Amino acid sequence: MSLEISLTVNGKQHRASIDPSSSLLDFLRDTLGYKGVKICCNTGECGACTILFNGKPVNSCVVLAADAADAQIVTVEGLAEGDKLHPVQQAFIDTGAVQCGYCTPGFIMSVKALLDRSKNPTPEEIEEAVSGNICRCTGYAKIVEAIEIAAQRMAERS
Amino acid sequence: MEYFEPKTISEAVSLLAKYGESAKIVAGGTDVIVDIKFKEEPPCLVNIKRIPALNYIQQNNGSLRIGPLTTIREIETNRLVREKFPVLWGASHQFASLQIRNTATIGGNICRASPSGELLAPLLVLEAKAIISLPEGEKKVGFDEFFLAPGKTVLGFKGLLEEIEIPFPPEESRGLYLKHAVRGAMDIAIVGVAVHLVPDSARKLIKDVRIGLGAVAPTPIRAKKAEAALRGKPLDQGLVQAAGREAAAESKPITDQRASAEYRRWIVEALTRRGVSEAWKAATGREVK
Amino acid sequence: MAKAEYTVLGTSIPRMGGVERVTGAGIFGIDLAFPDALCGGILRSQYAHAKIVSIDTSEAKAIAGVRAVVTAADAPDVRYGRTYIDRYMLAKHKARYMGDPVAAVAADSQAIVKQALKKIKVVYESLPVVLDPEETMKPSAPTLHDDMPLPANLPKDANVKNVCSYTGVHVGDPEKAMAEADVVVDEVYETKMIHPQYLEPRIAAARLEVDGRLTVWANAQAPFSVRTDVARLLNLPLNKVRVLTTEIGGGFGGKASGITSGAAIEPICALLAMKTKRAVMIVLDKAEETISTTIRSGARMYIKTGVKKDGTIVARQGKVVFDAGAYSGFGAMAGARCTQMLGGWYLMPNVHIDGYVVYTNKQVCGPVRGPGGPQAAFAVESHMDSIAAKLNMDPVEFRLKNTPKAGDKIIGVAKLRDVSLGETIRTAAEKIGWGKIKLEKNQGIGVATGSWIEGSGPGGGAIVKVNEDGSVTVHIGKVDFGTAPRFGIPMIVAEELGIPVEDVTVTNVDTDASPWDAGTVGSRSMLVSGNATRLAAIDARNQLLRMAARQLEASPDDLEIKDRQIRVKGTPAKALALAAVATAAHNEIGEVIGRGYFDSRAMAEEEKERGSSQPFTTHACIVEVDTNTGNVKILKYVAVHDVGFVIHPKAVEGQIEGATAMSIGQALCERVLFDEKGKTLNPTFVDYLMPTLNMIPKIETVLIKGYPGAGPYGTKGAGEIGCVPPPAAIANAIYNAVGVRIRQLPLSPENVLRAIREKKKSTL
Repeated sequence: MSLEISLTVNGKQHRASIDPSSSLLDFLRDTLGYKGVKICCNTGECGACTILFNGKPVNSCVVLAADAADAQIVTVEGLAEGDKLHPVQQAFIDTGAVQCGYCTPGFIMSVKALLDRSKNPTPEEIEEAVSGNICRCTGYAKIVEAIEIAAQRMAERS
Repeated sequence: MEYFEPKTISEAVSLLAKYGESAKIVAGGTDVIVDIKFKEEPPCLVNIKRIPALNYIQQNNGSLRIGPLTTIREIETNRLVREKFPVLWGASHQFASLQIRNTATIGGNICRASPSGELLAPLLVLEAKAIISLPEGEKKVGFDEFFLAPGKTVLGFKGLLEEIEIPFPPEESRGLYLKHAVRGAMDIAIVGVAVHLVPDSARKLIKDVRIGLGAVAPTPIRAKKAEAALRGKPLDQGLVQAAGREAAAESKPITDQRASAEYRRWIVEALTRRGVSEAWKAATGREVK
Repeated sequence: MAKAEYTVLGTSIPRMGGVERVTGAGIFGIDLAFPDALCGGILRSQYAHAKIVSIDTSEAKAIAGVRAVVTAADAPDVRYGRTYIDRYMLAKHKARYMGDPVAAVAADSQAIVKQALKKIKVVYESLPVVLDPEETMKPSAPTLHDDMPLPANLPKDANVKNVCSYTGVHVGDPEKAMAEADVVVDEVYETKMIHPQYLEPRIAAARLEVDGRLTVWANAQAPFSVRTDVARLLNLPLNKVRVLTTEIGGGFGGKASGITSGAAIEPICALLAMKTKRAVMIVLDKAEETISTTIRSGARMYIKTGVKKDGTIVARQGKVVFDAGAYSGFGAMAGARCTQMLGGWYLMPNVHIDGYVVYTNKQVCGPVRGPGGPQAAFAVESHMDSIAAKLNMDPVEFRLKNTPKAGDKIIGVAKLRDVSLGETIRTAAEKIGWGKIKLEKNQGIGVATGSWIEGSGPGGGAIVKVNEDGSVTVHIGKVDFGTAPRFGIPMIVAEELGIPVEDVTVTNVDTDASPWDAGTVGSRSMLVSGNATRLAAIDARNQLLRMAARQLEASPDDLEIKDRQIRVKGTPAKALALAAVATAAHNEIGEVIGRGYFDSRAMAEEEKERGSSQPFTTHACIVEVDTNTGNVKILKYVAVHDVGFVIHPKAVEGQIEGATAMSIGQALCERVLFDEKGKTLNPTFVDYLMPTLNMIPKIETVLIKGYPGAGPYGTKGAGEIGCVPPPAAIANAIYNAVGVRIRQLPLSPENVLRAIREKKKSTL
């Protein structure tokens, strides 16, 4: 059986059929073509598939596609403005926090959500924001730097 | 797979009455979707998130009332919960990851009835009640009677959880939730200990104490013998140790890929001691002698 | 800031390929999409050890939408393997671990694949399962490979079974020296299996082209090895097989199939493509990966050391029992490395170590980040502290006392050209506050050193093509997943050619066009591709300067390349646009193509003569132990490394930090757990626990000046060595904190608490 839903992704309206048993991850990637949402564990245990769902970071692999009806979704593809990267994206590049890059979109979405909630995050808030994201390449050192620098730069901008 | 999005509680209950065992209710989805992907698609999926007004945290009549679709994150960020129900707050704060907390619901965590369900021991020590809708009508059941076995509750195949009712504890009470796991993030609890303590008016004795244990029995349990050993007494190190030992003896843990039963008992003992001492300190301002 | 004499080397340029990654572009293997590809899936053995009596695929084949079902019977009767040729691509006659591929399906959708896999009827005759390599070595154990001989170099008196490789280390007269030692310490250490758990799922895609050639796509670290294996197993000549790599979401040696033959899915995918004459794509899911793909083996290490009262080491004896898993895979290499490293990297005048690599019914050993290293170092470096404790000597002083000097030899290195070990020890001690920092109760401080032998091995080439606009396209045989190919390599080309780094593109590997290479493994990207690329860039530069010299009426030695121009040094007006010279090549030599290669033999000769320079390291940490729960919290962590010349500081730091974190995981929370039937009990991330950010403090990486290595400009490999010290550093800190010596990994809360309680009991 299939279901039709409307939703907004990165400001763009979509209307599509979904299989009710499918996850938001599968829907965003396979039906709508947003490859910036990454597959890894498929069980909500690694954060690679993190997207913003009505502003909140969620693991799209354990959200029903059907539940995205009328939702505002933001994926990493929605952050840059043309060629201009979002400060969080730029900070990840500048600090060397991108190695293989597979965990990067998920982290960036968690960090964006963090900086949306808290302009000057404490170490505890940073830890809370990204302890649900696993990176196997960096050992997290430069990711933390990236978060700190992004926060600084965004605060300076505003 | 059949799929339904009931718009009212009675519609949902009718579906359950019709499909019984074949129907699976999905709330947040963080457990059910994993089942669908890795085990089996249920014949019928009932998505209750379109039922309005099931997501709330309110107070009336001396109780906190939480709707089953309230997310863990909403509970975690609620000031009333943090101030008045620290044991529930603590469990929601240590629940999985932020991403999961934004999706998972208190109803889902309860109805999943996993032995290690994070919120379950706290609900026991808060003596919370479940308001459930059954084909024969509405019913109020204490959480001490709600859980029957891993994955099994009094809801059976036909019941729907409508509301969680938590009586406001006395002003002077304090509580906390201690979770033992390996990493401190994204973990399933190896042991969960929920402590709720009420001092007497002079803050010299334990007027009441409730100790809930998670992940060490088929369902969450109260360590009643440990509680009895403490009730009515001034707390000292000897009693703290005794309570720890009692609680460990009352637990019925298994050995699995996460930990051995023996280790779980050691942790029950350690966390009960720690939980009782910290709750006492929070309630009386004093360290245990 | 670039190093004084260089333009760009020594700076941390923005990662090439960074923008695609932060914007989530679909560049990885998992993002491949073919318009009409079939989905593929693999049926894996239900038993850890069983005879395959029969396989009935008829019901599966009959399902609508199923396009092919294959078993070993559908493939040529060819095996593969690195040291022992002991493995079929699909198990034939016998399955030897629960991840062993037994059959495969190609169908119109993943759902149909799943259905079909369920309908394949395999009749097994189960055999006794052996999981412990020491048990499996016994003559009474069941035989895992009937037709594999015992290694020819086994000691004459060895009465063993199921051993697929043996390494013996013999120096001097250890028995005599041990007997004369003042103090002897004899211990046993053990590490468990861990999985590299890269985040991007492993994929393979294959398509039979109209001209009969096979194209294979893989997110593989060693594409030429994939080509070799696919060609071999399908009886195809190499020129009929083309392998294209995608971008890779992490590998760590686990995606180096072909180098190990341990869990290659590319040949299976290719077989399905040939049978169906359609494109086929296989994507592994997480649980499937953990149970079937290559891993870091566990090892049991017996280590006995004799020392003089003053702390001088006089003898070492030991035995390594290294778990190969179901097939020989990379077991021989990793086991040999582990055995050698058990001899340590200190002065060790008398040594005898026997190293056995043994088959068991479990996942196969792969070249996982520093294969054999963390295992050996856990034993060696914990043991060093045990000896120091027995001598009542400071562990740092004890290590310094036995540190070699230039000209000395250590196990595995015939001659040390220089030694930075002491400096790394002293630096780490200073940074961590050794002997100075005031610690609270249950806090402890620990150090552990390490080394890694790059050694000579297969080389590789590089091709630098100068396009007619002066931009450059570089072909090497290594792939990028956060490693040299997109960091240091383009910088080398930019440096040698005097062009901006943005003008350099390093392509991904296409085995039709890229020069052969062993793959992105073994910390050799800089050593091999870096050296090769440098020579290729110099070759290209020489060609350009020769052509320009004629036009400018100067000698090539008087020319330099700067600002996209070739000009006479000191007379900038006398210049030609680089693009013009590159274009002019069309009428002369066709194109400026610089060629370089890494000369493995020459490096070996050079090292024989002058000695080699090792990438020594010392890690130090402070931990806090919760004596009620056994939880260990790392409060501070310092990693000091001699990596020689540093081309891209952030890239090198990143490798060290990542490797360190991976081994912190091995130390504290990771292991693959089995039941007695050989079933993996924690295949998903729910229970295979990797470190989360809250577990790892900000790792302080210190790159000392050190000594030049064999890499270009004096670099040393940095991808793996960070993995070597952490488990021992943490174990030593735990000992310092609570006086408990734990000799098994992981140092999980349960294992730590158990050890604490045992100690309490025994001291009552």
